[in-house]
Amino acid sequence: MTDFLQNCIDGAMFGSGYALLALGFTLVFGVMKRLNLSFGPSIMLGAYAGTWVYLNVSQNVLLVVLATVITTVAVGIYVERLCFWAVRRDATIASMVSSFAIWMQLEEVAMHLLPERTYPFPTFFTSTVIDVGPFFVRSEHVSMFLLTLVLLALLHLFLFRTRPGLALRAVSDNPLASTYMGINSSNILFLAFAVVSVLGGLAGFLILSADSQVTPFFGLWATFKGLIAMMLGGMGSLPGAILGGLLLGVVEANAFWYGGPVIRDISAYLLLFMMLIVRPGGLVGQRIVAQQQAADERV
Amino acid sequence: MPNDYLLTVISNIGMISLIALSAYLLLISGEISFGQQAYFGISAYAGAIATTLWGWPLWVALLFGSSLAALAAGLIGLLTLRISGLYFSIATLAFAEMVRLSLFKLTYQVEIDGELIGPNGAEGFGEIRWIFDNDVSVFEYTLLIYSVLFLVLFFLVLIERSRLGMIFRMLGQDPLLTRVQGLNPVRYKVTAAILAGFIAGLGGALYAHSFTYIEPQIFNIMMGVHALAYGLIGGLGTVLGPLIGVAIDIGFLESVREFQGYRMIVFGGLVALMLIFMPRGILDEKRVYWLKSIARRWFRA
Repeated sequence: MTDFLQNCIDGAMFGSGYALLALGFTLVFGVMKRLNLSFGPSIMLGAYAGTWVYLNVSQNVLLVVLATVITTVAVGIYVERLCFWAVRRDATIASMVSSFAIWMQLEEVAMHLLPERTYPFPTFFTSTVIDVGPFFVRSEHVSMFLLTLVLLALLHLFLFRTRPGLALRAVSDNPLASTYMGINSSNILFLAFAVVSVLGGLAGFLILSADSQVTPFFGLWATFKGLIAMMLGGMGSLPGAILGGLLLGVVEANAFWYGGPVIRDISAYLLLFMMLIVRPGGLVGQRIVAQQQAADERV
Repeated sequence: MPNDYLLTVISNIGMISLIALSAYLLLISGEISFGQQAYFGISAYAGAIATTLWGWPLWVALLFGSSLAALAAGLIGLLTLRISGLYFSIATLAFAEMVRLSLFKLTYQVEIDGELIGPNGAEGFGEIRWIFDNDVSVFEYTLLIYSVLFLVLFFLVLIERSRLGMIFRMLGQDPLLTRVQGLNPVRYKVTAAILAGFIAGLGGALYAHSFTYIEPQIFNIMMGVHALAYGLIGGLGTVLGPLIGVAIDIGFLESVREFQGYRMIVFGGLVALMLIFMPRGILDEKRVYWLKSIARRWFRA
């Protein structure tokens, strides 16, 4: 029982990173009902830029964070213009495949930038183990968890207390009505991508500095974890992304403890598959699915 | 006699075309599957086990592997009936990853000639010796691959010209319309899934015997998304579309040495640009119709 609870704590801590990635996916999906597969690779490229700065320019943490976030945003905007803004709005598949093609491109660019397999990523947190009663937590996970909470609070402020945030929610809720209200949805799309990239860059930085290394697999990893966490919580739902991230973290931590790395990955996919079959809307997104279905029926 | 490298590229195009065709069949009936590599992989393992460990003839093994893949595809088709669009894509992706990861846990080895042979988890499955044991040259095997490919193409053309093909396309354009016509979409969706699974399976079993070594890592998401991309590049208007996509990627980019190390940068950019101007590929429905009308006029004159 202690093991199980300990796993849950670890999982939730690490799951907060998943939640950040899932938020990135869900925000973009909410605004344009299309999936950006190259979200993970753009974060990876940002992380590579951060590593490059760390190795060649300066060891200053702030500079590394800046390099990571700025590169992620730049790549994110490149993806947005090429795969989403330029492609016809109703060509959902085309956008998705196009974002995948850009993923391949980004991965190869990253390989050329830093040709070796793994690179050290600056650790921002000092690693100590903190005892809490019968349980213990690693300090870098606690800082990741807390920083995630701060980021969530900031995102919440942006979405619910500012005018651009309001516009973003309006477009996400009903694109047509928001156009009638004079909102330029193309600008909002751009904004959503920028916000999401900042979020992604920071998430990448937090996860990688807890891991203290970056590999070319990080792009794939980030896309998958974010995707799974988002779908578990419910596609397009913000609280869903957080819940999904935490759930994924907890399930993975337990499966890893009891079965090893392969079982961990299988259980994550099994959970996702079952969830999609039984409850396509995930934990809290059933309303969104119902809405879409209702819209289809009306047509 | 063409040289072996060229033959390998050509046979590669043939085998990958099969999985591209299977993704295409689902695409025209309105489903985007990220998981066709699962059926490719299932059949590769099953077919290779059948010839190598059980000593079955190749054609029986081909049918066995593909039928197993079709069965799995039908099952998944039934399970995913309620969901569509992105939900379906992600569900197929999850299934394919489950299959791939399970292959890491699959160990089934039999002693043949004092050696342990068979799938061994992450180590993969080597010594698929059917080609060597039966003295089949690379050229002959390439011919075999293309015979299978042409049979499949012929079959697909027949389907496209039949009522079934019409229904598939209608399902892809507008599922509601299909229901209004009094047709049961469930039946046709599952039929499409089974056919697609079978076609991917044929490719997989051929692949295993051509490369003589397979490992779980081959059947990853990259393969599935490439299969999907080929149809979208080549065009969704005709069965030749996916073949054009494969030929562009493998035949052109992978073989031209100048692109070594930059292949994905070129290919990725190319695909992204193309999808802006032709979201349904080079030979989409409109262009196919246009070409057909030209051909008709030309023959009449």
